[in-house]
Amino acid sequence: MSAARPGDPLRAAVIGCGAIAYEHLPWLAATPQARLVALCDQSPALAQAARDHFGAGSIHVDAAAMLAEVKPDIVHVLTPPHTHDQLVRLALAAGAHVVCEKPMCGTAAETAALLDLARETGRSLIESRNLLFNDAILAIRGAIAEGRLGDVRSCDIVLHLDFLQGPFGDLNLDGPAVRVPAGAIHDFLPHLVYLFAELTGSTQIDAVHGSLENRSGNRRAGFDFLDVLVAAGAVRGRLRIATDVQPERFRLSVGGSRATVETDLYNPYLRFEGAPDVGKRAPLGQLRSGLAMARAGLTNLWDKVGQHGTMHGMPRMLDAVYSALRGGTALPITPDQILTTARMVDRIVALGDRA
Amino acid sequence: MKVLVTGAGGFLGRSVVRAAAGAGHHVVAMHRPASLPDPASLPAGVEILPGDLRQPGRWAEHLSGIEAVIHCAAAASGNLPTQLAGTVVATENLLAALPESLKRFVHVSSLSVYDFSAPRWHGCLDEDTPLESRPLRRDAYTQTKLQQEAMVRAHCAGRPIGLVVVRPGAIYGPGKDWDFGRAMRIGRFDLIFAPLSPMRLTHVGNCADAIVAALAVAPAGETIVNLIDDEQPSHWAYHRLARRAGLPAGIGIGVPYLAVRALGLLARLASRLGFAGKARLPELLDLPRQEVRWRPLRYPNARARQALGWSPAVSLREGVAGLAAAQQAQAELPESGEPIRA
Repeated sequence: MSAARPGDPLRAAVIGCGAIAYEHLPWLAATPQARLVALCDQSPALAQAARDHFGAGSIHVDAAAMLAEVKPDIVHVLTPPHTHDQLVRLALAAGAHVVCEKPMCGTAAETAALLDLARETGRSLIESRNLLFNDAILAIRGAIAEGRLGDVRSCDIVLHLDFLQGPFGDLNLDGPAVRVPAGAIHDFLPHLVYLFAELTGSTQIDAVHGSLENRSGNRRAGFDFLDVLVAAGAVRGRLRIATDVQPERFRLSVGGSRATVETDLYNPYLRFEGAPDVGKRAPLGQLRSGLAMARAGLTNLWDKVGQHGTMHGMPRMLDAVYSALRGGTALPITPDQILTTARMVDRIVALGDRA
Repeated sequence: MKVLVTGAGGFLGRSVVRAAAGAGHHVVAMHRPASLPDPASLPAGVEILPGDLRQPGRWAEHLSGIEAVIHCAAAASGNLPTQLAGTVVATENLLAALPESLKRFVHVSSLSVYDFSAPRWHGCLDEDTPLESRPLRRDAYTQTKLQQEAMVRAHCAGRPIGLVVVRPGAIYGPGKDWDFGRAMRIGRFDLIFAPLSPMRLTHVGNCADAIVAALAVAPAGETIVNLIDDEQPSHWAYHRLARRAGLPAGIGIGVPYLAVRALGLLARLASRLGFAGKARLPELLDLPRQEVRWRPLRYPNARARQALGWSPAVSLREGVAGLAAAQQAQAELPESGEPIRA
């Protein structure tokens, strides 16, 4: 790694120039916190396309050679999940911090091994969890922190998304779409689990009941349906991912001893139900909710035109990560949180062993 | 000649396969594995090669002896990553797999690669018009087609491969009607933007004939031709023809090009004031894309006629009649896909 002076932008390299890179690169190309120095992909054409689009970074096809030549301060690993382990190891060994897309690994054991390696090399390893930085989630976290919900007792997260229509289900392509234990479900599950963990304060799952299945018969997807009830201490929750329910939604509800709040990450709104608008005052609460929904509808229209979409937490997450790295302060995503998520995912994915 | 046709299952690819087989070529038609055609539906001399260019695969082992390739494969829709995969990565994989025996490359590009703001008002857009120099102001299709064409030209430049780049206009035919020239439908009415601007149409059969004729061009260097039919109806005229042919076109309402541009300017102003210039505008309101679709320009086809010895066989009237016949046949199909028996 080059010796970055405090206050200097971090020299950033990207490995993997596919779809998710187009969520990282706009921030990397624009922020004063980073200087985009390298773009690496097995496909030179994809790396060239990213270079043309964002106007920075040398082009590479071999990650090891790129790391040796460019010596970046930080590497974004944005390749398919089964390649993460090797690339993260290469980047850490080259002395770079790493931001890795989720799922970082297929199992908690592999995740723990990478976090150990990062600690040994004195570098930071961060698994992406951009949804924690979305407006609605920040608002809910704020409400929980202020005690408006009381003690959190439940968290239900439902993702209805027909991902089989995209590359995950495209039978023209060979091989499994996602080469980790739960297949296509594994690509989305970390989002649900880290949201559940952060919003409920849970650090482990005590029991899981439900099913992890391939319902469509699509061989490329692996598992494409998940519906589980989760027990974590005093908290209960439901996590569900389905491809065959319309309309598409990413609905989340957090219930506490005083109030419940609900949102949808695809078409965000916030609906609070709780004191003082309960009992005879409940209709007032419904009126208030109705007005809030109408406002949210207008805001969502505005946001769609302004391209403030579901991924809008990504630049905030990257900004927080880079600020912490440059300032030597605590990272917004810690190794303990990453490992907690991975272990919870393991518990849920184990249902697939019985399928 | 043994000819590989990529994108053989697509709108243009299907016609190219028939035209190439009709011209006596041995056609290797590359189809995506999940949508293979019934071999009995193909003309004699056509061999099906299952494969998806987005991935290197076993298809690459079946290209020995290929003398020419007609590269139709591209993603015409989807977001930028989807089009990068279907157009750019697909072309990269194809180029890496082509055999040494290849003598001829016919690349199906697009008229969209040009800078439509370059010609003067009512001027000509031809093969000498500069390419779009600021692709990011255009859509993902233009960005990826520009990169695809550059890759093909770079590949052939260093090899003894004769390259013909064809840049078709708006290809129409059964299955693709360009909404009969309308920009938007509102109830019974069709809004027709820039009603007097030419539509640069080319019938899919004419386009396929030209592409197959390109196989016979002297195999040296690089030839670039735009493909547009002789008849270039205005949006209004094409809409009227379609309506008279019984196609489901509404009552036309013309919106002059200058009014369209004024709407675009207002949208840009709103984007700058309300969204720091980052608003996602539809084609109807986006100034650069408005120019591409509706700017009044002329589209000569003299170079294609001369270089390929091609002349469009299907007239506009015949082409529109074909659209109507296909529409009628479709309407007579029950949901099972079986024709209704009297």
